[in-house]
Amino acid sequence: MRVATDIGGTFTDLVYLDENGKIQVAKSHTTPPNFEKGVMNVLKEGGVDLAGMSTFIHGTTVIINALTERKGAKTGLITTKGFRDVLEIARGNRPDLFNIRYKKPEPFVERYLRQEVEERMNYKGEVLTPLNEEDIKTVVEYFKKEDVEAIAVCFLHAYANPAHEKQAVKIIKELWPDVYVTASHEVTKEWREYERTNTAVFNAYVQPIATAYIDQLHGELNEDSPSSQKFIMQSNGGTTTFAEAKKVPINMVESGPVAGIYGAAVLGKLIGEKNIIAFDIGGTTAKMSLIENGEVKVSTDYYIEKNDRSAGYPIKTPVVDIVEIGNGGGSIAWIDEAGSLKVGPQSAGALPGPVAYGLGGTEPTTTDANLLTGRLSAKNFDYDVDMDRVRKAIKEKIADYYEISPEEAAMGMIRIANSNMLNALKLISVRKGHDPKEFTIVAFGGGGSMHAPALAKELGVKKVVVPLASPVFSAWGMLMTDLRHDYIKTYIRRFSQLDLADIQNQWKEIEEQAIRQFNNEGISNDKVEFQRFADLRYLGQEHTVKVPVPSGAWSEDDKKVIIQKFHALHEKNYSFRLEEADVEIVNLHLTAYGKVPKPEIKKVERNSTLEEAKIETRPVYFEDVNDWVQTDVYNRDLLPVNKVIQGPAIVEEKSAVTVVYRGQTVKLDEYGNLIVETEGE
Amino acid sequence: MTVKTHEIDPFTLEIVKDSLLAIGDEMFIALAKTSMSPIIYEVLDYASGLTDARGQLLTQGNGVTGFIGMLSFMVKETIEKYGKKGDLQPGDIIITNDPYGGGGSHLSDVGLVMPIFYEGELIAFSANKAHWTEVGGKDPGSFTNDATEIFQEGLQFPCVKLYEAGKINQALVEMIKANVRFPDLSLGDLYAQVAALKTGEKRMKELCQKYGKEVIKASIEHLLDHGEKISRIALSTLPKGTFTAESVVDTDGIGNGPFPIKVKVTITEDEFVCDFRGSSPQVPGPVNCSYTGLVSAVRTIFLAVTNPSQDVNDGVFRPLKVIVDKKSIMSAERPAPMSNYFETLCASVDLVWKALAPHMPERLSAGHLASICAVTLTGNHHDTGEPFLIVEPSVGGWGASPGQDGASGQFCVSDGETYNIPVEIAETRYGVLVDEYRLRTDDGAGAGEYIGGKGVIRSYRALSDGQAATVTFGHHVIKPWGIHGGHDGSPNEFYVVKASGEVDGPYGVYARYPLQKNDVLKLVTATGGGYGDPYKRPAAQVAKDVKNGYFTVEQARDLFGVEVDPETFTYRELDIRQDRE
Repeated sequence: MRVATDIGGTFTDLVYLDENGKIQVAKSHTTPPNFEKGVMNVLKEGGVDLAGMSTFIHGTTVIINALTERKGAKTGLITTKGFRDVLEIARGNRPDLFNIRYKKPEPFVERYLRQEVEERMNYKGEVLTPLNEEDIKTVVEYFKKEDVEAIAVCFLHAYANPAHEKQAVKIIKELWPDVYVTASHEVTKEWREYERTNTAVFNAYVQPIATAYIDQLHGELNEDSPSSQKFIMQSNGGTTTFAEAKKVPINMVESGPVAGIYGAAVLGKLIGEKNIIAFDIGGTTAKMSLIENGEVKVSTDYYIEKNDRSAGYPIKTPVVDIVEIGNGGGSIAWIDEAGSLKVGPQSAGALPGPVAYGLGGTEPTTTDANLLTGRLSAKNFDYDVDMDRVRKAIKEKIADYYEISPEEAAMGMIRIANSNMLNALKLISVRKGHDPKEFTIVAFGGGGSMHAPALAKELGVKKVVVPLASPVFSAWGMLMTDLRHDYIKTYIRRFSQLDLADIQNQWKEIEEQAIRQFNNEGISNDKVEFQRFADLRYLGQEHTVKVPVPSGAWSEDDKKVIIQKFHALHEKNYSFRLEEADVEIVNLHLTAYGKVPKPEIKKVERNSTLEEAKIETRPVYFEDVNDWVQTDVYNRDLLPVNKVIQGPAIVEEKSAVTVVYRGQTVKLDEYGNLIVETEGE
Repeated sequence: MTVKTHEIDPFTLEIVKDSLLAIGDEMFIALAKTSMSPIIYEVLDYASGLTDARGQLLTQGNGVTGFIGMLSFMVKETIEKYGKKGDLQPGDIIITNDPYGGGGSHLSDVGLVMPIFYEGELIAFSANKAHWTEVGGKDPGSFTNDATEIFQEGLQFPCVKLYEAGKINQALVEMIKANVRFPDLSLGDLYAQVAALKTGEKRMKELCQKYGKEVIKASIEHLLDHGEKISRIALSTLPKGTFTAESVVDTDGIGNGPFPIKVKVTITEDEFVCDFRGSSPQVPGPVNCSYTGLVSAVRTIFLAVTNPSQDVNDGVFRPLKVIVDKKSIMSAERPAPMSNYFETLCASVDLVWKALAPHMPERLSAGHLASICAVTLTGNHHDTGEPFLIVEPSVGGWGASPGQDGASGQFCVSDGETYNIPVEIAETRYGVLVDEYRLRTDDGAGAGEYIGGKGVIRSYRALSDGQAATVTFGHHVIKPWGIHGGHDGSPNEFYVVKASGEVDGPYGVYARYPLQKNDVLKLVTATGGGYGDPYKRPAAQVAKDVKNGYFTVEQARDLFGVEVDPETFTYRELDIRQDRE
């Protein structure tokens, strides 16, 4: 039995398939700072037979929390002479253009703990100055005195030749076996010294906490389930073993959220949809990601705390591309000083939460608006919802200002929230050169299904899929994962001067590294699959395009095919091609999968009728007619398979609803997914 | 017929307004994506946006602050020249870079304007402006340190039609091709700009189709009024009165200067007036700035003190007034050279900032590097023998403010979403080795209760003979100012350390300094001004500064009155700190 657990801000989710192939879910409170307790609790509550558990897959927020709450280890940095301030100078940019009092993000290592040693490579990886080993010894003594807990080592051009970093790590470990050490080349082999240094520092910073957490969890699980395989979700949409995860914990920075995106791709394969917009609305944010041709997009252009107001911090680790905006069920509606209605990014969170929860929340939220317009039913809440209080909050905070009814104000809140999300959806689709008509939205999280049909209509997307167990879909996605490692190496070569034997050696070296890593994780060679990419650009340009490239040794013909593919992809992404220009390789990127058996998804067999599934008919406020409409409400768990319902309609399930508009239909497919389709115009 | 705002529900107005902003964003991204020039897609040295039919800015995407407000001047010039005569039709695109007439910056920044019609009615303009790598002129890269008239600075586009009813003016294209050094790049940028304008036109029409023309027009009014309202609310909270400051523009690059500049800022309940009269007349070298550039400078600080995070449109600037003598260094007229206009623009921002900072500490810090600190380095790559060209701005220190030390190593206020070039990339592409890239910590400058951010030292070692460096470091003769007892920062300067060991410098502005193999160009930028009495900086913090190497033991004692042990970093406060209480 494969079991997945996913730690979120409020709840720890559990999903597994029981002996009959039936999906089982459970939720339990998250228990900071001892997160493993919540995991054990949810396993117990979900009735998991630990002795019978074959595989345990886990998504965790431990890493991202350590970073955002600045709770990591005291970290020292060793770097090339002349460059200790790279971490503080960073890139010098100021996204908040007109803010004279802009606060530059502070480095995670203070200046006195950033120490220089004598050594130097040039851009070709040739040694200009050998590493001065005495300098390393001096720094280690100093760091001991300063009670440093973790050390990051980053030297210039280590992506081209890591010899000095390796040498330094060896000396450090001899002198101080107990200290945690990260060398930059172990985490990223891409050029750009600030980004690489910061990534190495972050890895060192979280390593002690990550190790302690994983060891704790491992210990607890082992008591009742010593023989199960235990995996952790990484940011690239694949898993790794506990042991490997401890080596590069920064790879887990987006451990949880990406699983839902990956799940959407897996679901797409099952139901024959290759082009997908994965759309996840939680309590505080909406997350979206575009999946083209079944491929989840992974890149190393990842930052934390970066937004319109702050430059944030780069992490050069492979992360699924996700756009996230501050619009969730708990997002607060407010009126700015000049009278414009805004929703989010401030959220009421889980505590006090929306007014509806009755836990002290006084600010109207998207959830409250969905209640007042009849989309959500007070009966479908875990809390006793006081509708008068909800109406009063919306009336006083919003409706009175505009001199309209609370219901109209609630509709306004939903429209503004939808407008925010629509603009974000356009950002990842239309503006990147994709036609939304060719995409299907997979909507999940607590609020995904409530808003997705309206957004699909606006965006021109024909089909919305609300998967089984949509509120805990991220954990479902984890059940479907393979082991995955991404290896990215900067390798600057012009195609016109490419040495085919040398590049094949590079690929072989990377692939052998991957095999070794998988063997360590108990994956045999026949279960390993490779996919090669190259980041290419026109000579003299900066931006690159990720191009799939053939496996095996390249021929002259392969070169031509790659270049043609690059021209085409470049034109798609950037609207022009330069046929005459030389093409340059910047990075080699190998994606390696370690395939593991996955549970089979059973078809739903249910002999029910629509009448049996119908809960009630209630008035629901719809913006397209700007009025109340008597709307049939159905229980998802009782819906018959493939029976089409005409919108307007509402389908309720535990913790979520799907709102279907006039001109749309909804049905339950044979796998238990809800399919909402917009009729052709 | 116009529909009154109150007849449309407030949320529709809001959603259309957000859609207009989203169109602005999309046009901005589209230009970066389709440009072939690094200065556009990496440095984001461009702006794009929409105006209404009268040329009022509705939304502008910016990578740098320097262009704020320049788009509307281009559109207004277009209306003046063509619109008023009824000489605009669908498919027209106008090209301009005339600094004195609507262009506003220097010839390198080429602007395009496209009228947008819906159902036969002019409803908006889409416009953008981008720094072309090449527009011809006497020096490669076009903008230059020692031009004496505009004719040396490149090709001039005096607001003429590039497209007429959708048909391109081929003669003009060929003129461009013949007059610039890298025609592929320049024309590539031109077409990227055209594509971005068309994106704006397409989206605007879609919006009209969806909501109807009248709703769009009402939303435009709503957007402008909303901007004005937010501005006026912020204005009402500012201290009222008259505030003055004086400063200088260092040099015009050909041996003249410094040139005095001054401002009188008057803030009333409903106006924000900047009067620059009495500043230096226009000068022989290329450091002149146009009136439009000056307005951009003032707008930058106006936004900073009112509401820096709001969406920008012409409604926001309605309370603003700028007064200046004709033909001054900041309102220059033909044929004054304008290449380095950005230094005077920068100095003008600094001037208004300096006048207001002591009175608005919650919005404005002490002085910062106040110069783009532009560096151009040319030569041949030591390995490939191919020519290379570095064109880059430099980072330096920002000023301190209450509760906040100044930021170290940031681009100046006239830049923005600008990124430095990583050392590893520079060493791969260019014929140089970077000896150091570190904070400037030896100047002891910018002391205060809150200290100025540190300048930066970046040293390029030439790896081949025959390289040449053109450096334009403003604020070399004056220092970033401290406030309320905070010390001044240090100046921008550069040195050349010859292979022989001989040191030449410091200099501020220099055209084509020759470098041979192993000569080192040492670029040193300003540390920002401090805020408040240094004796009030907590002694524990001073000890930490020493431990971090931001100040020496001697500086801690002399500047802050704190005796710090160089080994243990324990500290003792000197009596002089008490005496100051």
